[in-house]
Amino acid sequence: MIAYLVNLATLIAIFGIAATSLNLLIGYAGIFSIAHAMFFGIGAYVAAQVALTFSADFLVAALAAAVAAAALSLCLALPALRVRGEYFVAASLGLQMMASTLFAEAHGFTGGVGGLVGIPPTRILGFDVASPDAFLVLALACLALTLLAVRTLMRGSFGRSLMALRDSESAAEAFGKDVRALKTLAVVIGCFFVGIAGALFAFHMAFVNVESFTLEQSVVLMAMVIIGGAGTLTGPLVGVIALLSLPAALSFLPFIPSTQIGTVQQFIYGALMTLLMIFRPSGLVGLSRGVR
Amino acid sequence: MLLTQLAVAGIQTGMLYALTAAGFALIFGATRVFHVAHGATFILAGYAFLEAMQMGAHWAIASLVALTVAVAFGLFMDMLVYRPIQKHEGSFFTVFVASFGAGIAMQALIQFFFGGGFATISLPLTRATELLPGLYIAPVFWVALAVVLLVFAAITLFLERTHAGLGLRALSENPELLRAYGLSARRLSALAFVLGSALAVPGAILTTVTTGIQPADGAHVMLVSLAATVVGGIGSIRGAALAGLVLGLVENLVVSVVDTQWSQAASFVMLFGFILFRPNGLMGRAGAR
Repeated sequence: MIAYLVNLATLIAIFGIAATSLNLLIGYAGIFSIAHAMFFGIGAYVAAQVALTFSADFLVAALAAAVAAAALSLCLALPALRVRGEYFVAASLGLQMMASTLFAEAHGFTGGVGGLVGIPPTRILGFDVASPDAFLVLALACLALTLLAVRTLMRGSFGRSLMALRDSESAAEAFGKDVRALKTLAVVIGCFFVGIAGALFAFHMAFVNVESFTLEQSVVLMAMVIIGGAGTLTGPLVGVIALLSLPAALSFLPFIPSTQIGTVQQFIYGALMTLLMIFRPSGLVGLSRGVR
Repeated sequence: MLLTQLAVAGIQTGMLYALTAAGFALIFGATRVFHVAHGATFILAGYAFLEAMQMGAHWAIASLVALTVAVAFGLFMDMLVYRPIQKHEGSFFTVFVASFGAGIAMQALIQFFFGGGFATISLPLTRATELLPGLYIAPVFWVALAVVLLVFAAITLFLERTHAGLGLRALSENPELLRAYGLSARRLSALAFVLGSALAVPGAILTTVTTGIQPADGAHVMLVSLAATVVGGIGSIRGAALAGLVLGLVENLVVSVVDTQWSQAASFVMLFGFILFRPNGLMGRAGAR
């Protein structure tokens, strides 16, 4: 039971980082990406490759993962600068579908559908953090750092400019904000952090394959942010906790066959997204201001 | 001959994509709702047809059942989901998320009751005969062709020759002015959902009897319709239909060049390229972004 809870808490921390970084795009910058699982995957694969071939040190692997995700995020920044609204959603969707195929087919780097196995346990500057408890502390520390970074950034001039941009792009431009630089930076920073989440995920599971980085995962991440409350610091965390505890809670209900739990879970978060948008578009935590 | 066979398969898939995408484009063009739950309409219609057939109904009755279910779902989404949202705020993303959620929930519901695997029924129509040496075509291909042409002719006539059709086109251009002329925007948007959802039905039924239908098709159809609408030029029904046809062809023809796994990715590379370099699509009006 304790082992189960530690595992759940670790996953909550990892997805907490992923959702917080997506919130930077959706909630603060108004960039509605449904390609976030792609960058989560890039982080995980890069960290796994670094650990398998070079060094299992967490700092090295996570930094490589974050930098790779941030660099490749320029693929997402490009359409974000050129188009908005439904066009951007469609572009990010296209990107995600291409990435899923690449993850499944680029055998040399990702191991194909079979994935990468036997990722060595990680360590930090020689200290062993392989035990579940130690790893949980590491994941929580990363989550705390991410939250702190996002909070600091969003309270500063960058965050305010970003939110101005989200609320009215032309107004922000009229006030002399560099729209292109701001958007690119938001995408790069968001993908940097999800790269770290990907690295944690790879070390935690000791195995990565394409299943974890598909469109469904992107949608789940989006659901976490939206259900919790986009544009708030705690909202995405609430969404993560709600969605990750759901399977556990459902398994206590005797009338749902265990094979159907995934389906029921899908139904609940789908319906929850729709109902929230009708009655409380700002999410569970959000102010009654509305997602923009 | 392989290439011709693939092209025939591509045209058949493409025609069905064309109809479904046209429905999506019609709804989007008239109401500005990005109705991604359209994929759910598709699988609902397919499973409704299947259930009715298995209960022993005549195929015409079963098709009518499928049509009713699809239209009812479209109207349900319009009245109980989109309208309340648009009443209080209605930003693009709020509506999109609501639609997405409804699509996921509906797909899960169907999976819960009918299972996640392929469901199909066999008809004599789907047995392929050798038309030319090495070229197999099932009679259902001609049925599909006839149905698609007929439906397109009907919808074009409706949009161009009737008052309601004219109203629909006006709705997309200037809803305020429409209201000033005493037309009901609400009733027209309901009409758009009725027509758009109905356009998903032929594709759903023909898919069910040819390749079989599965809940995951909902997401696939949603992606294809969305891609076709963007590639065709947002707001253009003809563009979406043409793009749907092209997507179906590309999906099948790339198989002769690369492995099957890449076929879906090919469509999305095309989509991504269009958004970056030609965001107005094949037939979109300039400045439509």
